[in-house]
Amino acid sequence: MAERVISSLSYMVVCIILVLMTFVTVSVSFIHLLQFWHIAFGLIIGLTKASLVVLFFMHALISDRVTRIVIAVSCFWLGLLVILTLCDYLSRNAMPFMPGH
Amino acid sequence: MKLSDSTIWTPEERAIIEQDTMLARHRLEEQYANLEQQHETAALGMWVFLATEVMFFGALFVGLGAYIYLHHEAFEKASEKLNWIIGGVNTVVLLVSSLMMVLAVHAAKAGKQRGLFLFLVLTALLGICFLCLKGLEYYTDWRDNLIPGWRFDEQEWIDRAHLTPNQVPQVKLFLMFYWTMTGLHALHVTLGIGAVLAMAVLARRGHFSPVYYSPVDVTALYWHFVDTVWIFLLPMLYLIGTHTAADLHF
Repeated sequence: MAERVISSLSYMVVCIILVLMTFVTVSVSFIHLLQFWHIAFGLIIGLTKASLVVLFFMHALISDRVTRIVIAVSCFWLGLLVILTLCDYLSRNAMPFMPGH
Repeated sequence: MKLSDSTIWTPEERAIIEQDTMLARHRLEEQYANLEQQHETAALGMWVFLATEVMFFGALFVGLGAYIYLHHEAFEKASEKLNWIIGGVNTVVLLVSSLMMVLAVHAAKAGKQRGLFLFLVLTALLGICFLCLKGLEYYTDWRDNLIPGWRFDEQEWIDRAHLTPNQVPQVKLFLMFYWTMTGLHALHVTLGIGAVLAMAVLARRGHFSPVYYSPVDVTALYWHFVDTVWIFLLPMLYLIGTHTAADLHF
């Protein structure tokens, strides 16, 4: 089992940061922003929060190399899924309709 | 982990570990060289399972994201009808439950049996609290006619939300994403509560020790993953558009 440990105080600090970030996420939804900025802002904070959970609560910070590889590969496959799918959907109206081509 | 390493273990902890040597031998499966290898294998297995879960939920999130882009106006109007207060409170409930879970693992490592049991029970209780709030939210959705195919008023969306008749199916699509994703997440929470309660029962029976707490650690990984999914559900479902004080749903 992992030799390195994270202190219980660190866990509590991380939890407080996560709760504060949740308040920020909800608060920003009351500010009038243009079209997709709410989603963009929410996802940026969400990614930060998820990283904190994975690094501290799931102990990725003190995990062995194999576990880190699994995490990195998961992110890579998810990235492929997101990027390739959105490349299709977001570019459908980018090119004019050209019958015969 | 080295028992001889005095920089890691206090004398009291070493005494507990030495007392648990017999317990450790009983918990070691025959295919592993030692408990450390057994623990690493179990944790790796859970991480690989979670990788499949990432793809499972990831596909739903990508689908939702693509349709938010294509039907932004209708999705924004539909999102504003959801109960973001319960969604936000539930986020905090899950985050605190994650803290309880990680403190349970911490207590297990330190050999604090009472702490382990207490934190596991608190985790399960917060999970149950999450499901109760979710149930309350589903009730308000039912009351507000937000269930496509069962309780849904198309004319209401045209009259009150000022959507065109062509946009009403897009509202239904958003609500189908909402019910599918929150429903699947609630199912995961339910399974997680069962696993955490099972760990609590085992902890009460003295099943775990500082050298053997692998099931608690693996259950914790699953619980934190469920928490992580909800972290993304909050902005993607509840916070698409701009809220006002008038959006309060109680």
